[in-house]
Amino acid sequence: MVSVQLVKVTKRFGSVVAVNNVDLEIPDGRFTALLGPSGSGKTTLLYLIAGIYRPTRGKILFDGKDVTNLKPNERNIGLVFQNYALYPHMKVYDNISFPLRLAKKPKSFIDKKVREIAAMLQIDHLLDRYPAQLSGGQQQRVALARALVKEPSVLLLDEPLSNLDAMLRLKIRSELKRLQKDLGITAIYVTHDQSEALAMADKVVVINNGVIQQEGDPHEVYRNPRNVFVASFIGSPPANIFPVKVDLVEEPCVILPGGKYCPKGILAERLKNLGKETVLFGFRPEDATLHEVPRHDGIIMEGEVYTIEPLGREVIVTLKVDGNLVKVIAPPTTTGRISQRVYINVPRDKAMLFDPDTEKNLRLIG
Amino acid sequence: MKLGHKLSNATFFLLPAIILIAAFYILPLIVTTWISFTPLRDWKISQLTEFVELENYRALYKFVTTHPLGSLVLKTTIVFVVFTLIVNVLGGLLLAIATYVIEERVSLGFRLLWLIPRMTPLAVFGLIWYYFFYGSPQGTLNAFLLKLGLIDQPTFWGTDPNLLPWSAWSIIIFVNGLVGVSYGMIIFYSAFKSLPPELLIAAKVDGASTWQIVRHILIPMARWHLVFVTVWQLLSLVTSYTHLFVLVDWRIVDEWYGTTWALFVFTEAFGTVKNQGLAAAAAVILVIIGSLLGLLTLRIMRFDKITLEPKGDI
Ligand SMILES: Nc1ncnc2c1ncn2[C@@H]1O[C@H](COP(=O)(O)OP(=O)(O)OP(=O)(O)O)[C@@H](O)[C@H]1O
Ligand SMILES: [Mg+2]
Repeated sequence: MVSVQLVKVTKRFGSVVAVNNVDLEIPDGRFTALLGPSGSGKTTLLYLIAGIYRPTRGKILFDGKDVTNLKPNERNIGLVFQNYALYPHMKVYDNISFPLRLAKKPKSFIDKKVREIAAMLQIDHLLDRYPAQLSGGQQQRVALARALVKEPSVLLLDEPLSNLDAMLRLKIRSELKRLQKDLGITAIYVTHDQSEALAMADKVVVINNGVIQQEGDPHEVYRNPRNVFVASFIGSPPANIFPVKVDLVEEPCVILPGGKYCPKGILAERLKNLGKETVLFGFRPEDATLHEVPRHDGIIMEGEVYTIEPLGREVIVTLKVDGNLVKVIAPPTTTGRISQRVYINVPRDKAMLFDPDTEKNLRLIG
Repeated sequence: MKLGHKLSNATFFLLPAIILIAAFYILPLIVTTWISFTPLRDWKISQLTEFVELENYRALYKFVTTHPLGSLVLKTTIVFVVFTLIVNVLGGLLLAIATYVIEERVSLGFRLLWLIPRMTPLAVFGLIWYYFFYGSPQGTLNAFLLKLGLIDQPTFWGTDPNLLPWSAWSIIIFVNGLVGVSYGMIIFYSAFKSLPPELLIAAKVDGASTWQIVRHILIPMARWHLVFVTVWQLLSLVTSYTHLFVLVDWRIVDEWYGTTWALFVFTEAFGTVKNQGLAAAAAVILVIIGSLLGLLTLRIMRFDKITLEPKGDI
């Protein structure tokens, strides 16, 4: 197994900069998720690691060894595509054995390997079929088997679950995570689904417009988003963020509808030093609670119920706060009327402030 | 909806096609078959109702089996069809692969270049080959070979008796190959282009060289296109004669070594002989042989299996 390192990697397609000056460390034997919206450069980054694209600038290292100029087959990688890309004219057996046949391995060895991997992925009864005769989930396993049969040192997966239905996705998601742990293989998993990234990965890398926004373990990225993009991309529903006025007259505070929030310590200092009239205020929907009368132990603001969506385990209440729509996750027993006035309570340590221009989290810069 | 209603609906929509097929295919076929049983010569319409039974077919059989020119027409036809077919299908495949693997900007120009022979008007085309193979030192090929010192005497390449028959055959194969090869190229190229790019990336990651990608992915995936192009080209080679007519008419190649069965039908009917009865008989034979050949190729290339591949237990 290897670790992968990208050093100042840029990839241009004509005038489009798909990947922009990326420095990235993919740890050995761990599950890394590459998370970003459509068109953010995830596939391009993966193909750069695979050697399908040459970087316009920069270097790619496997275990410290420069592989920038090596062809895909010289990098010992396995690649799984979103559309599986199984060879339609070959049976499952031939699909899986293809990399080994090209490597001119002995027949008996190939047969042993194919059957081993097929048994592991529970597709041994499908070896005689053509891809068109398989369900999406089965095709997905065949694609995985083809990628794993050559025992790659890095497994690259490009949105491998996005063509499956929701139930199957959950099932394969946990299987895949377990498989990666059992094999101890370095895995890089591309997805635009933040819940998938949080659930599966040891390390999450958030990318947007070809630029890495944040990297860290899932909890870290979720709890301490570096900027507005990460905060509003991760979470379901994502963090509430809206502009608020700043009042620096006595102590640094932000004015909320029906209340105000005066941070303490370093955050207060940064808010003061920023010296701007407005900042972006944010909090996660599950961190807030709703009350009919104001409480006095947290940050309080007043809102008006906009919609209530019961989801069984919880209720998502959307509120109008000073013209902004804000979502709060409330207990399943919550009831309320549309247009009812309520008080939103956010614990002080869960509030986030962002610079309105750089969109950076004031807690994390310094 | 009642079945009768459905049928009349279908008839309504198919009618234009049925009329066209009847007018331009079935009707001429019937007329030709009719003429093949008459002594029609020089378009004397009155002869159309005189019947000579199988006389034309008998004469044709005698011509082919006993007359040296008859067997020559057969030989020329077989050589022409077999070799031009190989050139057209394999050449088209090679060109498609070449244009597929090279860069798109270059590839477009390259493909357009190969379309020129197909787009060139017949008369211009004839003129080009007339000068190209002309027997004076100024003839393009002669001038070229003389410059290189490969020959010391200019030759009429298509008619010099010392070089026959393969000189004439090579020319008709070369010229028709040049026209026909772009057809396969376009079909195969578009077949390749419609493959998902991930398929080729997967093969590259699996360690396939360009040649292995061609052999294991491109060609098997274009199998049905191969069958189609082969059958299509076979049938058009068996029946086409326009380029051959120009080559023969302008004496670029020897008259008899450049005459295939299809051209023979044409010259018999419209040339100096004007024996329409015999020509019609030859045409009927051509249609029968063409149909059989078409069916045979479909069989050999397993067309039935391609279209009806069982999906297995799903
Ligand atoms: N071969 C290419 N030629 C030109 N532009 C490209 C090419 N591949 C990608 N791009 C551009 O680069 C940018 C990043 O594309 P990429 O496919 O990496 O995005 P992605 O994050 O994988 O998106 P998705 O989630 O939709 O798959 C996009 O703007 C895209 O249009
Ligand atoms: Mg992508």
